[in-house]
Amino acid sequence: MKPTAFDYLAPGTVGEAVDALAAGAQVLAGGQSLLLEMHLQRVHPNLVADINHIPGLDALTVADGTLTVGALVRHKTFESPGAVPGPLGDLFGRAVANIAHPPIRARGTMVGSLAWAHPASEWCALAVALDAVVELRSTRGTREVPAGDYFLGPFRTAREPDELLTAVRYPLLAPDTGVAFTEHRRTGFSFAQVAVGAALTIRDGVITEARIGLANCADRPLRAHAAERALVGSGPSSPVFARAGETAAEQDAAPVPEPYADVDYRRHVIAVLVARTLREAAPV
Amino acid sequence: MVDRWLRREDERLLTGAGRFVADLRVPGCLDAVFVRSEVAHGVLREADCSAARETPGVAGAWSAADLPGLPPMPDTRQGEATREWPSLVKNRVRYPGEALAVVLGDDRYRAEDGAGRVLVRIDPLPAVVTAEEAAGDEVRLFDGLSNVALHGEAGQPIDDEVWERAAVVVESDYRQQLLMPSPMECRTILCVPEGDRLTVWSGHQAPHRLRSDLARLLGRPEKSIRVVVPDTGGAFGSKSAVFPEFIVVAWLAERLGRPVRWIEDRRESLLVATRGRGQDQHVRLAADADGRLVAYELTVEADVGAYPHLGVAFPMQTAWMATGPYTTPQVHATVRSVLTNTMMTYPYRGAGRPEATSPLERTMDVLARRLDLDPAELRRRNLIPPEQFPYRTPTGRVYDSGDHLAALDLALRTLDYDGWRAEQARRRADPGALPVGVGLSCYVERSGGERGSLHDYVGVEAGEDGGVVARCGASSSGQSHATVFPALVAETLGVDPARVRLVEGDTDELPGGVGSFGSRSAQIDGAGLQHAATLLIEEARERAARMWDLPVEETAWSDGAVHPVRGTAAMGLSELVKRTGPLRIDERYEADMAFPFGTHAAVVEVDPDLGTVRVLRLVAVDDCGRALDPAVVRGQAFGSVVQGLGQALYEGVPFGDDGVPVLGNGLLDYLLPTYAEIPPIELGETRTPTPRTPLGAKGAGESGCIGTPPAIVNAVADALRLDHPDRLQMPLTPDVVWRAAA
Repeated sequence: MKPTAFDYLAPGTVGEAVDALAAGAQVLAGGQSLLLEMHLQRVHPNLVADINHIPGLDALTVADGTLTVGALVRHKTFESPGAVPGPLGDLFGRAVANIAHPPIRARGTMVGSLAWAHPASEWCALAVALDAVVELRSTRGTREVPAGDYFLGPFRTAREPDELLTAVRYPLLAPDTGVAFTEHRRTGFSFAQVAVGAALTIRDGVITEARIGLANCADRPLRAHAAERALVGSGPSSPVFARAGETAAEQDAAPVPEPYADVDYRRHVIAVLVARTLREAAPV
Repeated sequence: MVDRWLRREDERLLTGAGRFVADLRVPGCLDAVFVRSEVAHGVLREADCSAARETPGVAGAWSAADLPGLPPMPDTRQGEATREWPSLVKNRVRYPGEALAVVLGDDRYRAEDGAGRVLVRIDPLPAVVTAEEAAGDEVRLFDGLSNVALHGEAGQPIDDEVWERAAVVVESDYRQQLLMPSPMECRTILCVPEGDRLTVWSGHQAPHRLRSDLARLLGRPEKSIRVVVPDTGGAFGSKSAVFPEFIVVAWLAERLGRPVRWIEDRRESLLVATRGRGQDQHVRLAADADGRLVAYELTVEADVGAYPHLGVAFPMQTAWMATGPYTTPQVHATVRSVLTNTMMTYPYRGAGRPEATSPLERTMDVLARRLDLDPAELRRRNLIPPEQFPYRTPTGRVYDSGDHLAALDLALRTLDYDGWRAEQARRRADPGALPVGVGLSCYVERSGGERGSLHDYVGVEAGEDGGVVARCGASSSGQSHATVFPALVAETLGVDPARVRLVEGDTDELPGGVGSFGSRSAQIDGAGLQHAATLLIEEARERAARMWDLPVEETAWSDGAVHPVRGTAAMGLSELVKRTGPLRIDERYEADMAFPFGTHAAVVEVDPDLGTVRVLRLVAVDDCGRALDPAVVRGQAFGSVVQGLGQALYEGVPFGDDGVPVLGNGLLDYLLPTYAEIPPIELGETRTPTPRTPLGAKGAGESGCIGTPPAIVNAVADALRLDHPDRLQMPLTPDVVWRAAA
């Protein structure tokens, strides 16, 4: 299929871009979801604002313990070791390998994934787990929304139609944080049936902090709070991780049935994958 | 000059210089877009095209009501009943995606804009998408007619006491899921009317058949239509028929006097391209205490799609091949073809033989487990030995030749069967190790075609310039004909292959043609071309004999030239043609069907906690008789093994409650194996020529779709030590495997 007719605009500044959004434009960044949706005629924008020519949006900066990822930073950036310091960079490196395939990673952007909010998105799950904050700009000003309040459902977020998601910020992880990311999918390039990212801090043999992000375990990305609570204060062990997996599956997740992954199967996979991810984040 | 490319086609196709129908630029050509039903079954109340016609760039828009003379699909008569398949829905939608209206625009964008403005109203009816649901006739696709369109059988019914007396009887149910053939290029047609002639460009497997179908439907002489097949991006059986969209496009091009084309896109294709397989099966297999097969019974319920077409009788292919490669004395297969609310089921690579091989080979493994016999040994005790060929099966086939034991042994050696059995035992003793399984599948298939399509038209012509033109009724959609056939003709004539050029896929070039399907091109057209080249040599010798005033037997042929037996003065083809006039042999060549065979083997590792299957090793030993070009045969074997892997693990058509396939995200929903899924594949060959042609070539290229799926499924069942294989139904997605393992 072909897109319906639309106008195309390539703003040179964020100011021009938000003006275009105020006029009803859809944002084109990496284009890996928008263009497909337009071809399938599920999205019919009258105006497309291509932000790829705006200087500065491709910045990746670390300052004061915070990582800021600009709207044009491509997925593949996170494949480079050292692009992001410490365990956060390690976690992103483990996650990014699961995103589609190399051509899509070369073009698509992390911020674009957050704006699109596919329930199976790896970045969205990590954003909620890591207490990320998204920066939204419009002609009305700038506001910041914590990831935990940002995702409202499949492809639904707190972003207003006239707001441009200019950046996402993550607190860096402490150097002694153990991280892991695992994904279960049907083929090498298909969407995750379930994906799990975890960051664990263990001090003196006791788990002091746990962050678990779940992708495609509900209609939106989840942070597995109940499973995290089950971990903190315990020593890392296989039975503890298995119990956390079951808690995530039973209490945190709200799986939606899909072909080849009904609710029972998906809950089972969540339990298995959470336990495996935790074991990998903190070898026992 | 030494070719840098392995095949003649490679440089063109791999450098982007291929010319497919969508690449042809014809001034003034209109693009057709079809407005399609979003419901599976319903009554069409309205398809109002008036707003579409007002859309800029739209040349016209029509529903069936606007085109009273539009011919329906051909070949829909089944027995006494005719169930009309209109080319555009008249009043009843019977499958999702069925075309309700057509919009022609200056380009596809504008035509789609127009299509979006066609106003459609459909009152939905309950949809039936499985044979089981449809066979009860509670929902009828055609008022007053049963959904059951055909009953058929092969072999004789087996007495109850045979089952009662047998030492072991295994019963199972299997599903051969619907599959999408998924060629890289979807269907294409471009119709260009010029004066009294209509030129039809189409990526197609059977151009002469398309010409005669269109001539009949449009009511014009065959000679007034020329069908040309340019480069074609795969077909796998899905491009051998005429389709409703083809009829609409040809009819409008003719009526409007303008070029019109339809280039199917992937989204359309997943809804309305032909689909393959689609059988629910029940089997009973009986053996004596030594594991010698006594009787086999196969019951097939086939979901054949919404309209009776060629696909209705197609499950008989499965029935006729039910015997497989074994000496089972009694075999009985019954078929019931049932209309369902889907696009028609039609031949897809393997076409009836995968559906025959899979239930038998899976049941053989169950039987082996029941008898506590090694599955390879069970097969060895039952394979038809070489001295019994030609072998007449209880289901009516006469196998031409075979050495099945040799193929089995080579597959076991290539796989290192004993080594993997040892590894399996080691892992079973280690509670931390993931289980591995080994699966075998012995197959026999049929190539060449059925009665009525066992011939083709071939020609060899020598030119004054020393060039040779080979013509045949085959039509390549990626099978390397331009490499293989000239080499064969050159070898027969003793000339440099660079001098021989192939012309095919053009109805103006030959009086008739059958096409490329059923693994027939090498076997029939190849043997025909070899035969025609031999006749050309005979004709050359006769002409030389007359010229030299010698008896024919005093002339001889070598290295592309005729010469007197005594003496040295040779005359090449070019000189002969200059002296004696045009030299062209045209033949209708016919040969009987042949039966390629082989053994496939798989090793898998299963993660029972998640249900994931990792294929560690695939071995495919195929015997296609003489291989005209071993590299080309291996390329096709490899591709079909990957498609077999797709059926085993990944591909399927899930339906929503409304009967509409859940494939809205295209190939993100219909998962094909890609390079990340391809395991190490090792190919092996045995060579048992068919005695049915002097050439000795049997068909090749469908083997992987036939032999590989049951090898993989058997390996998974072996890894999990399953006693009830019914729970493992393809595709073996992780959820299916997890449930079976639980």
